Amino acid sequence: MFDVSFGRATSRRCDGATRRDFLRVGGLGALSLPTLLALESQAKAGVTKRPGARAKSVILVYLGGGLSHHDTFDMKPDAPAEIRGNYKPIASSVPGLQVSEKLPMLAKVMDKLALVRSCTHNNDHHETATNWVLSGRFGSPFGDYPAIGAVAAHDFGFTTTLPPYVAVPGNPSFTWELGKSAFLGGRYESFKAGDPSKADYKVENLTQTDAAVRVQRRGTLLSAVDGLAKSIEGNDQIATYDEFQQRAAAMISSSETRQAFAVGAESDKLRDRYGRTTFGQSALLARRLVEAGVRFVTVNFGGWDHHGKIFESLDKKLPDFDRGLSALVSDLGERGSDKETLVIVMGEFGRSPKVNKDAGRDHWGQAASMLFFGAGVKPGFVLGKTDKVGGHPTQRPVAPADVCFTILDALGVNPRKQVHTPDGRPIEVLDNGEAIHELFS
Amino acid sequence: MLRPLLTVALLVFATTPGRAASPSFLNEVMPLLTKQGCNQGACHGKGAGQNGFALSLRGYDADADFKRLTRELDARRIDPAQPERSLLLLKATGTASHEGGKMFGVGSREYAVMRDWIAAGAPGPDKSDATVRKLEILPDDRVMKAGERVPLTAWASYSDGSRRDVTWLTKFETNDAAVAEVNAAGGVTAKRAGATSVRAAYLTEVAVAVVTVPHERSVDAALFVPRNNAIDGHVMTKLAQLRVEPSGLSGDLEFLRRAHLDAIGTLPTTAEATAFVADSSPDKRAKLIDALLARPEFTDYWTLFLGDLLQNRKERDHDVRGVKGVRQFHDYLRKQVAANRPWNELARDILTASGDTATHPAVGYYVVTVGEAAPEKSEAAESVAQAFLGTRIGCAKCHNHPLERFTQDDFYHFTAYFSRVKLERKDSKLGPTVLSVGLRDKDQARRPVGVNQPRTNAYLRPQSLDRGVVSLLPGQDPRAKLAAWVTDPSNAAFTGAMVNRVWKHYLGVGLVEPVDDLRATNPPSNPALWDELCREFQSSGYDLRRLMRTILNSRTYQLTSSSRPTNATDARFYSHYYARRLSAEVLLDAIGDVTGAPEPIDGYPLGTRVLQVPDPGANSAFLKLFGRSERTTACACERSGDVTMPQLLHLQNNPGFAGKLDAATVAVMKQWEALDKDDAKLLDWLFLHALTRAPRPAERDAVSAMLRDGQPRADVYHDLLWALLNSKDFTFNH
Repeated sequence: MFDVSFGRATSRRCDGATRRDFLRVGGLGALSLPTLLALESQAKAGVTKRPGARAKSVILVYLGGGLSHHDTFDMKPDAPAEIRGNYKPIASSVPGLQVSEKLPMLAKVMDKLALVRSCTHNNDHHETATNWVLSGRFGSPFGDYPAIGAVAAHDFGFTTTLPPYVAVPGNPSFTWELGKSAFLGGRYESFKAGDPSKADYKVENLTQTDAAVRVQRRGTLLSAVDGLAKSIEGNDQIATYDEFQQRAAAMISSSETRQAFAVGAESDKLRDRYGRTTFGQSALLARRLVEAGVRFVTVNFGGWDHHGKIFESLDKKLPDFDRGLSALVSDLGERGSDKETLVIVMGEFGRSPKVNKDAGRDHWGQAASMLFFGAGVKPGFVLGKTDKVGGHPTQRPVAPADVCFTILDALGVNPRKQVHTPDGRPIEVLDNGEAIHELFS
Repeated sequence: MLRPLLTVALLVFATTPGRAASPSFLNEVMPLLTKQGCNQGACHGKGAGQNGFALSLRGYDADADFKRLTRELDARRIDPAQPERSLLLLKATGTASHEGGKMFGVGSREYAVMRDWIAAGAPGPDKSDATVRKLEILPDDRVMKAGERVPLTAWASYSDGSRRDVTWLTKFETNDAAVAEVNAAGGVTAKRAGATSVRAAYLTEVAVAVVTVPHERSVDAALFVPRNNAIDGHVMTKLAQLRVEPSGLSGDLEFLRRAHLDAIGTLPTTAEATAFVADSSPDKRAKLIDALLARPEFTDYWTLFLGDLLQNRKERDHDVRGVKGVRQFHDYLRKQVAANRPWNELARDILTASGDTATHPAVGYYVVTVGEAAPEKSEAAESVAQAFLGTRIGCAKCHNHPLERFTQDDFYHFTAYFSRVKLERKDSKLGPTVLSVGLRDKDQARRPVGVNQPRTNAYLRPQSLDRGVVSLLPGQDPRAKLAAWVTDPSNAAFTGAMVNRVWKHYLGVGLVEPVDDLRATNPPSNPALWDELCREFQSSGYDLRRLMRTILNSRTYQLTSSSRPTNATDARFYSHYYARRLSAEVLLDAIGDVTGAPEPIDGYPLGTRVLQVPDPGANSAFLKLFGRSERTTACACERSGDVTMPQLLHLQNNPGFAGKLDAATVAVMKQWEALDKDDAKLLDWLFLHALTRAPRPAERDAVSAMLRDGQPRADVYHDLLWALLNSKDFTFNH
């Protein structure tokens, strides 16, 4: 049946199987129970780390807008007042390493994290830089290259009832959505989980409210009515529709999925520890999702674009960040999940050394700080330095491609592998960069 | 085979143009680097180079490459005293460690050229070398059997009138390796049934050879006979050549639903369906097509199409027109469609639009594509080329186009047409933005119209993409010349771009794919049909409705979507109608029509059809999920027909969607009462209403069994509605 193809090469998956083969394996009717059971048993068997990989899963905390490194992890207390800003440094659990007084809880867990102070590129435009740091490749502001989360989804595929790539609450966005799957296609776009801090949090369209009798009746009727595929062979869209129809039904009825998203199942004490904020609960949900087998979770925590009144804003924002991230670090550690989860904290750029006339700091692609945690990252390690005003790296500059390379490599995804655009152009996932080997012992 | 080729090659070697004592840097060394892949994006051709050695991507910058080869690294890459010791040769032959591996062997022809060039003192680009004007491949059209091998030869014609075999310097690539493979020497091997093209590139010139591999099976000749018009002749000829059988003619209701959805974006009503079936006149399909093309919904739908093409949206940053401006441009386009304005006239008006956005809404095109940027640095040139000519020139902004003859100079010549666009941008509350043609600074006035090429800093005058020179009178709008060239009857890309878009709209797959990537190396899948449609569109005076009428009346369009075993794998040659998911707006309207619960859209009265909404920024999770175009660029790829899992989750389990089903169930139960509480009659009505077909026995049986079983009728119908709207019979056009 697949001996001949007139050009629609996209119907084949990387593993050589076609989407139609999935249906053959999965069962004949729509919404079939065998499919669900097969997927759930795969899930129970456990999503595992690839041989030779450092991490099973990734949590990427994205600080959209650009975190001010001067006021958090790369303080310059000896610089003039207009550079050092309002905050005082405090000691952390790593001897000699100081962080902002606004981060007292993180200060206590810095001995578990690695800090990179020398992230750098040369772009000061939110959209362009965001797509750059999330894909590892410089392109237009509209996202010419797939974000590494989509690359991971493409590489791992759909193996359980949960999607391989989830964004909580959603993808980064200033005006339009960023960090998308680009030419890999909608199939590998992140699944949007919504805001888990809402009182009656539910994933959109995922909550089964219908009685079992209805669900069954619908399945029976759909099997009777949905006859188009019987008379049409070889149509890729139909095959995809049938596959996702079954996956969607499986997702809705699966207790595994429900459990994975049930942030409310956590104790009040733990939820309070993360903070009852969008970020805090998103971080907690991310932990549940990676433990349930999601390969890549983006926790999107935007709003760091402080061109004016930066200290008033940070006074409000940093405590939420401090609480949520420190809870994630200690919780993952206590559960042992840190051994197979790589956590990365970054934004698209840092902020300008000089506080401007509006008491803000502006975009600054030349220097930024980021954090790594888990999956064998050296605890308490500090890499790179900036100059005395925090303007440029003076040691070990780290480029967006290096960061993305490190993440994909940790998952066991070849960062240099070739993927194809729909019109057949072969493109390397990353054409540049190398793993930041110092981060791992 | 090998021996005669070698002889020819040696003869050519002795006479390659530009060669005196040394091989020509431009005509031999550079294409050799390209052919070997040294300067491709994955190797030394990327911006940062590879391991400290950078070349221009596919050799677009010979001067820079010459410097890097001969001057960098203390000139260690070449050693004229001991050519064999040159790093370049040691690396390329794998003698010294080279990540890219061994490119050619010592003693090869490639080796000889490089060594001789180095030994001759590595002379640089010689502007007096003959330049290549044209590339041909022989044979250029070949029917092959699977497993058969055919050698291709590439011939270059030069500015000095010479014509030479450049096969060994030409890079060959296949457009579909599943059908035919090509090796570096130009040898083509047919793999399996299908058709594709092999493209060849030598310096700036490109050429293609078409390879057709028919199935090895007997087909029923009678199936290829019935034809409605000229389209069918070309399609059937191609299918017969490939031995792919066409499917049969669609049924009346299948055709009715399909034609409604494709032409006017709505489902037929039950009354329309009943009347169409009852009509026994032989030309009822033709009459229906005429009626559809005259309906106001057609105007709505085609206005949406043009809105995508012409990127009618608010600006991303610092928008000056507001939604009001978007609506004004939309209204303008709607009037043009309603009046069946010829495409060339409409294109000319938009390309030369001037004045204020309130009285000249087409200026909105430039507000969006030029925006706040200097026109020559804006997206205008790329957008115009892609929207009006189906031509992607964006690659050439930074380097020569890898698959086309466009150079970076071509790109900046083309942007020069826009260099005198001046936008006086104003917040819409303070008055309309005005486009005038003039100069932004006085210094420019003394210079002729042109722009600076950023790499060479050369001042380039306006020039069309086919390198036609333009003379401009002082004060003349360069865009008038642009519009004249774009819409000139001899400009095949202008005609072809719209023909291909319209064809794809109705048939699902463009004759050229991607639909807006027309180029010599990406030929149409059916050239005879392409020529026919282009001729017809042009001779009709670019009459869009007439083109659509011809397409809709063809038997090709009216074939059933059901496949045969002998055509199931065909997705390119129109052996059957290719079923596809309804587009975002059409699907949302169809759900509203079937359930009687239209989608509320912020800022528009309830009951407004989604198709009529001018602004792609209108808030709708559904439209976003199902791939509405954001109109950020001119690329047709912005509208996505992808099927994704969140779409299925929405259809299966969205609370708002469930609310629509509740409303629809109330209406269905009323209908049941009205139909004498006869469930069989109700099913007839409901299936016609939702799917434009009669229920099948198995479908009736499934429902009757549930009712007999005592399940509540309203619940059964509620769930049946759910099943109908989740079925591909509903969500697909087929």
